[in-house]
Amino acid sequence: MTIHHPNRPIALAAATVICGWFVAGAVHAAAQAKSESLTSVERLEGDWVRVDSSGSGDFGGLTSKFTPASLTPRGAAAMAEGARAAAVARGPAFAENARHDRGQPYIVVSRPCAAGPFGGGVLGTNPDSGAIHFVVSKDAIVLAPERGGARRIYMDGRKHPDLRTWTPTGSGHSVGRIENGELVADTVGIVPGVVTAGGWRTPETHLTERFVVSPDGKHLTIKYRWEDPLIYEKPHEYQYEFDRLPEGSYALEYWCDASDPEEQQSVTPPPQ
Amino acid sequence: MGRRAAVILALAALSIAGAGAQQPAASSRDISGFWALTAEGKKVPDARLMPRVTRAMLDLHKRRDVHALRWCNPVGVPLMMDSGTPIEIRQGPTSIIVLTENSLVPRYMYLNRKHVSADIYDPSTIGDSVATWDGETLVVDTVGFHPTHGVTSIPGGGFRTDKTHLTERYRLLKNGDVLSVVFTWTDPTVFATPHTYEFRYRRLPPAYEPLNEWPCDPYDETRANFLGDPAPFGK
Repeated sequence: MTIHHPNRPIALAAATVICGWFVAGAVHAAAQAKSESLTSVERLEGDWVRVDSSGSGDFGGLTSKFTPASLTPRGAAAMAEGARAAAVARGPAFAENARHDRGQPYIVVSRPCAAGPFGGGVLGTNPDSGAIHFVVSKDAIVLAPERGGARRIYMDGRKHPDLRTWTPTGSGHSVGRIENGELVADTVGIVPGVVTAGGWRTPETHLTERFVVSPDGKHLTIKYRWEDPLIYEKPHEYQYEFDRLPEGSYALEYWCDASDPEEQQSVTPPPQ
Repeated sequence: MGRRAAVILALAALSIAGAGAQQPAASSRDISGFWALTAEGKKVPDARLMPRVTRAMLDLHKRRDVHALRWCNPVGVPLMMDSGTPIEIRQGPTSIIVLTENSLVPRYMYLNRKHVSADIYDPSTIGDSVATWDGETLVVDTVGFHPTHGVTSIPGGGFRTDKTHLTERYRLLKNGDVLSVVFTWTDPTVFATPHTYEFRYRRLPPAYEPLNEWPCDPYDETRANFLGDPAPFGK
């Protein structure tokens, strides 16, 4: 993201008036130059959106090109059980599964927006088509997906909590470090669930992410590596690609009003 | 005369340079942290409302607020600044994010930039906030509120509309242990005079672990009845 500095010409002009102003202006200009050329992980700051860099056409097609996870028998059993549980949970929330004529509106979900699937910052570990916003503060980096929730990556040197006393969340507990100017995040404590490209996770599963910003600052690659000897025969790896949103972009508010009956229905294209 | 002028100029230069060097330390310009607001931290006078603001209008907003809470809608500003749980503020190089434990929707403040054009801004419960530092005070200017989404009532009286303008002044006190936020609301359709109040938040330990998933079930009938908004659907 290009950073806008409306005061810079003023500071530079002031610096030329007298010697003292020059020194004071130099202090000010140095501060602005710092934010203008963000370094290291500060370059993550801003707004990003996933892109289909391989021409897959949709996210399903994109992930189908990833190397499928290699699960242990125990991992495969956990995933099958999870799929069964998800199917059961789907029952009462979805009013019907019958086929419908083209253009015929029907009730898709009986309880829209309920307990949102985005709680706990789950989209922070698996960003979808919505934008994701990074705020890089001194002690923590916050990832805020546009469709709700927030994920923190602590940079203050803290350790992971004892998982025996930790309540698993959508994004788990993440601690970060900087390696070669890149953010590397280590995460545990995520609620059990599916992982992209045929993977599975439990709170004990380790996720390591490496965030790589291109030299021009306009592209981001997040490399994912899931490790769990009980789940995976070998580490499960893939990567997502992102583009930085244009200057002046802002976070849209995701609005889902459960009291609005239209939230239940399918989208019906208007007559052309 | 020339030498005297040179000395004066040099002293002035040193003085101004010193002033530049005495810019607030980085820590006094960083409000990041976990912050708790208690009853003793609120000083909220009654708002002076426009004569056109009737009791019926205030009651309507209160009912809408309950409806928004019952249906787990994003509450937005001002309630998220006093939602009953600690707030987390993270300040980055170009933006500041405010998170509450009981809402999925964060608040953003963009540093050193102008408001998004009203022609393209999509009104929201948090509005469009831009922020600049004025010495050791962070001044946040917000417009673009949605007139009905979220909880619209304002502490001390009144409510926000699409014409509302909020100015906040954030300042660290007591070596950074306390965060003072002075809120000033103006709206020609609601307030007869600018409505100002102050919250003082206490800093929580840096190792504080926020709750990341707050249960909010809009279909919990017991909860809906308690809140007084039991209708299953519709507004």
